Amino acid sequence: MQTASIVKKEKKEKKWLVYFYVLPAFLMHLLFIALPALTTFYYSFFDWNGIGAKTFIGLQNYREMFGDSDFYVALVNNFKWILVFITVPVFLGLLMAAWVSKLKKTQMFFRTVYFLPYIIAASMAGRIWCTYLNPYFGINNVFKALGWTSLGKTLWLGNKNIALYSVMFVDLWHFWGFVMVMFLGALQQVDPTLYESARVEGASKGQEFRYITVPSIMPTLTFVIITIIMWSFLTFDYVWVMTGGGPGNASELISTLVYRMAYSHYRTGYASTICVFQTVLSVLAYAAMQLVKKRGWDV
Amino acid sequence: MKSKKNVGKILAKGGKWFVLWTLAVFELFPLVQLLFNSFRPDQEIKAQPLGLPRQWTLANYPETWVMGGYGKAFLNSLWISFWTILITVFLISIAAYALAKIDFKGKNFFTSYFLFGMAIPSFAYLIPTYYIFNRIGLGNSLTGLIITYTAHNIPFKLLLLRTFLLGIPRELEESAKVDGCTEFQAFLHVTLPLAKSIVMTVAVLIFLSCWNEFTFASTFITSTSLRPVSTRFVKFTTEYSSDFAKIFTSGVISIAPIVALYLLLQDSFIEGLTSGSVKG
Repeated sequence: MQTASIVKKEKKEKKWLVYFYVLPAFLMHLLFIALPALTTFYYSFFDWNGIGAKTFIGLQNYREMFGDSDFYVALVNNFKWILVFITVPVFLGLLMAAWVSKLKKTQMFFRTVYFLPYIIAASMAGRIWCTYLNPYFGINNVFKALGWTSLGKTLWLGNKNIALYSVMFVDLWHFWGFVMVMFLGALQQVDPTLYESARVEGASKGQEFRYITVPSIMPTLTFVIITIIMWSFLTFDYVWVMTGGGPGNASELISTLVYRMAYSHYRTGYASTICVFQTVLSVLAYAAMQLVKKRGWDV
Repeated sequence: MKSKKNVGKILAKGGKWFVLWTLAVFELFPLVQLLFNSFRPDQEIKAQPLGLPRQWTLANYPETWVMGGYGKAFLNSLWISFWTILITVFLISIAAYALAKIDFKGKNFFTSYFLFGMAIPSFAYLIPTYYIFNRIGLGNSLTGLIITYTAHNIPFKLLLLRTFLLGIPRELEESAKVDGCTEFQAFLHVTLPLAKSIVMTVAVLIFLSCWNEFTFASTFITSTSLRPVSTRFVKFTTEYSSDFAKIFTSGVISIAPIVALYLLLQDSFIEGLTSGSVKG
């Protein structure tokens, strides 16, 4: 009887102790991430410059945002960004993964090289590329030497029709290898006997790709596309260090607009409102991804 | 007919290799050129930005290191990384253990909370954190960054670790407990040693995010002496924007530690960054 009660007591003690395992991580995140995020939502209803008194203005910031032409420029640029990033790296990554997965001796080499730029900080790589793209002392000199005068005169980051695409180009350099490695991992999971039986039945390479490869990588493809959409709403570093959203607001994204509003114009309330909008978009993409995962597509 | 088909095959194969190598050169060239340019004098780079050094020089390195204050910047980055890794790994390993191994009330709530927590982007809390930290004296400080980075890293790394721990049979810990271990001792002496590889991956990922993080570091830190490498580099390239040799050299200095670590621990990087990752 006595031992039974001791065991019981011990169990009770353990049950209570377990919260000490989880609570530190939980509170740390709640205090420094979740509550500040809610505070952003709270700020979005105020007119505030970050220093003086806050004035409650209800939904006025939201009304201003939906009537703000700068906001629409940023939003359209963000959608251009998404369009480019869900096509170019996905197509390139898929094609290269299909090829690289067939390689034997050199597979590791290409995987290492293609993934390498992804681990370098966007802020650092962005600045290095800026230097290469310098109109007077950068690659334009090489173009001029080759006799390509019009390329040699291009202001890659200073022309408002080109700046956004120049930054995208650099981010593609940085990013597509990540997509390639994701697909490579997925292709290596495909059951090789499927290909064998397809070959026995006389399927062409194209048919193999269409009926075996594509279905097996569908979960990864979906995951990659949703991830790209989510990240595209948040992308900041490359644009900020390369053009700062300029020239004018030609390469402005939602994130750079937020940053300028908050730290150059000191419109903290309004910046928070745009933040709320941005967060909602990216959380929606994240929720879509969780739904996809629930369908059993484990990636 | 047959030979025509063979020619086509050879061409296709050649084309494939051509594309593979072109892309490899495209990825590597800016970085290799960066390294070369760090050994060239400034005028030579300005006259011809691409190419091998005609006149090798090592002078750029000591000059850039001193002028850029890189000694201090490296110490700052290492200090931030060290504490962020230590605190995060401690917090998430015990939490992941509980969420993977122990049944208790609220377990599902906590798991869903961290799953949801992963979705909160850094811009969602950048502004309030800045003002709150300024008010409580953490604004222009490394401690402020360590706290933010730790909190930010918790959800994804915790869930990554939890998934791994779910694969370790519970019987191992139970038998240790029969032998007289407490739950915590079982975690420390049985589970943790088995999870060494994933903890290593987590540590590498946190180091990467600390070294590369830019937005918070550039918003919070206003004193030059407190800047970590990422923002020091951006500031330096703005200040010495006309000295290309120093820009390229400071580029090498800033990215070299990460590239070296990647080449050493490639699998940890790739595994960690591609496992359902969320932007850091």
